[in-house]
Amino acid sequence: MEYLIHLAILVGIYAMLGISLNLVVGFTGLLSITQAAFYGIGGYATAILLTGLGMNFFLSVIAGIVITVILSLIIGFVLSRFRGDFFALGSFGFNIIIYSVLLNWQSLTRGPLGIPGIPRPSLFGYVFSENLSFLVLVIVFAALTYLLAHFVTRSSFGRVLKAIREDEEAAAVFGYNTLVYKLTIFVISAAIASVAGSLFASYITFIDPSTFVLNESIFILSIIILGGLSSLRGSVLGAIILILLPEILRFVGFPSDIAAQMRQFVYGLLLVILMMYRPQGLVGEYKL
Amino acid sequence: MEIIPQLIVNSIIAGAIYMMIALGFNLIFSTVKFFDLGFGALAAVGGYTTFYFSNRLGWNIFVAVALGVLVAGLIGFLINKFVYTRLSKNKASSMVMLVASLGVLTAVQAVIAMLFTSQFQVLSSVLSATKVYNIYTAAITEIQLIILASGLIIAAGLALLLKWTKFGRAVRAIGDDREVSEIVGIDTRKVIGRIFFIGSAIAGLAGVLFGLDTGIEPTMGLSLLLKGVIASIIGGVGNVWGGVAGAFILGFVENFGIWKISGEWKDAIAFGVLIVFLLFRPNGLFRK
Repeated sequence: MEYLIHLAILVGIYAMLGISLNLVVGFTGLLSITQAAFYGIGGYATAILLTGLGMNFFLSVIAGIVITVILSLIIGFVLSRFRGDFFALGSFGFNIIIYSVLLNWQSLTRGPLGIPGIPRPSLFGYVFSENLSFLVLVIVFAALTYLLAHFVTRSSFGRVLKAIREDEEAAAVFGYNTLVYKLTIFVISAAIASVAGSLFASYITFIDPSTFVLNESIFILSIIILGGLSSLRGSVLGAIILILLPEILRFVGFPSDIAAQMRQFVYGLLLVILMMYRPQGLVGEYKL
Repeated sequence: MEIIPQLIVNSIIAGAIYMMIALGFNLIFSTVKFFDLGFGALAAVGGYTTFYFSNRLGWNIFVAVALGVLVAGLIGFLINKFVYTRLSKNKASSMVMLVASLGVLTAVQAVIAMLFTSQFQVLSSVLSATKVYNIYTAAITEIQLIILASGLIIAAGLALLLKWTKFGRAVRAIGDDREVSEIVGIDTRKVIGRIFFIGSAIAGLAGVLFGLDTGIEPTMGLSLLLKGVIASIIGGVGNVWGGVAGAFILGFVENFGIWKISGEWKDAIAFGVLIVFLLFRPNGLFRK
């Protein structure tokens, strides 16, 4: 049972990450491979504020969002000058830069040692120490994320995003300031990833930079490509499949190092096969 | 100030490695017009094949190196045949190709890690860093001299191949316009297949040489590839000779950058350079 709750919590966190990335990749057509960076910023904001200053978890979530919003505004502004492949490469770069900051700013992040002993969230004296109560918290956050994304994508704002995806010049000709739209959705997406990072840090109670490497961004990308671009349900579905699928490998009884690599192999192969036979994913509405 | 000659030597060695990667990457990009990230994994394939034959089986190092280069070329050829050719037949966009190549990279790296563990390993040999030559106050090892020589030979050989042979003319024609080349009777599939073999073999050689100099790990391909990509962008993507200049610029910026700040920031510096270039000279130093 504990094990199932653990998996459900992970699914919830990755569904949030998937939805956040889908807003940028699926709905706006910008191939961003830097989501793990914002995930990491949120995680570290919570870890540092909780262990260092003893701040409340929910305040640290807000602090993480503020930091992420500022950074993603800058990053998004730089990236907004690129299209297509170059956007992807540039976003790659930011993932690696932020990873190196987490790794090398040792006075703040303790570098490769990571930050242990992150407390679980507490609200009005109630501590979410049980995994079951934490799961409820994750579900609340994931549901809020889903509703927010649903609202954003169904609004007139979301329709402009799709217009930008299909033909940015045409959208600009119709008088939409596409830069503002692209930046706004990029920042919203980053903020959601940051919240997911806060939840992850507080759940695992330990973080180190290796969680937020480029491979993690690729993993999140596989979630939404498998589930389907431009589909919120698809992101949730992708997270469920990609979190649960590798668990089967665990039961087959491979050593943990091999199992971890096999997971990477499955993700990689999945990307190739999907691109070849079903580039829109399981329930997606948009092809890259 | 005594350190400057050493920094110059280090920059040139790093530049030579990056140059080989950039040459192979640009060669492939100039014909197929997408960012082949899977290319990076082939450097690791070369390094590990050599490792297998020389360290595990105890074969002669020169035979092992030759096999490493050959196997890398062959795998690159097969990946193109079974993945990219099929994708381009379906008229896949360059973003689909990029995601597929990301999958190839992840999968190949995982296979290598499964076979050889993800630990850092020494690719020791008779060519190890025992012989050291001194130039002023700088030291250069025998293997580093070999790196330099190989870089020069590869660059010169490629120049001759592209400039003077029928094959080279076909490659340049495909780079200009693939459809027209097909119309005038060039077997583009065959030429591109060979290009993948040559490019991948160059990546394999760079991987082997890098491994002999510093050691090998499964993720080495990604970092080498990213440096190669940055070098290509500095010089102008698809512009083979621009990539050479870009590689040495990157080598110098990186090595002089860590003169005053610690070495772990190398990657961040490299990507800082990339982003500056993407912003101010997106077509590279030498516009086509």
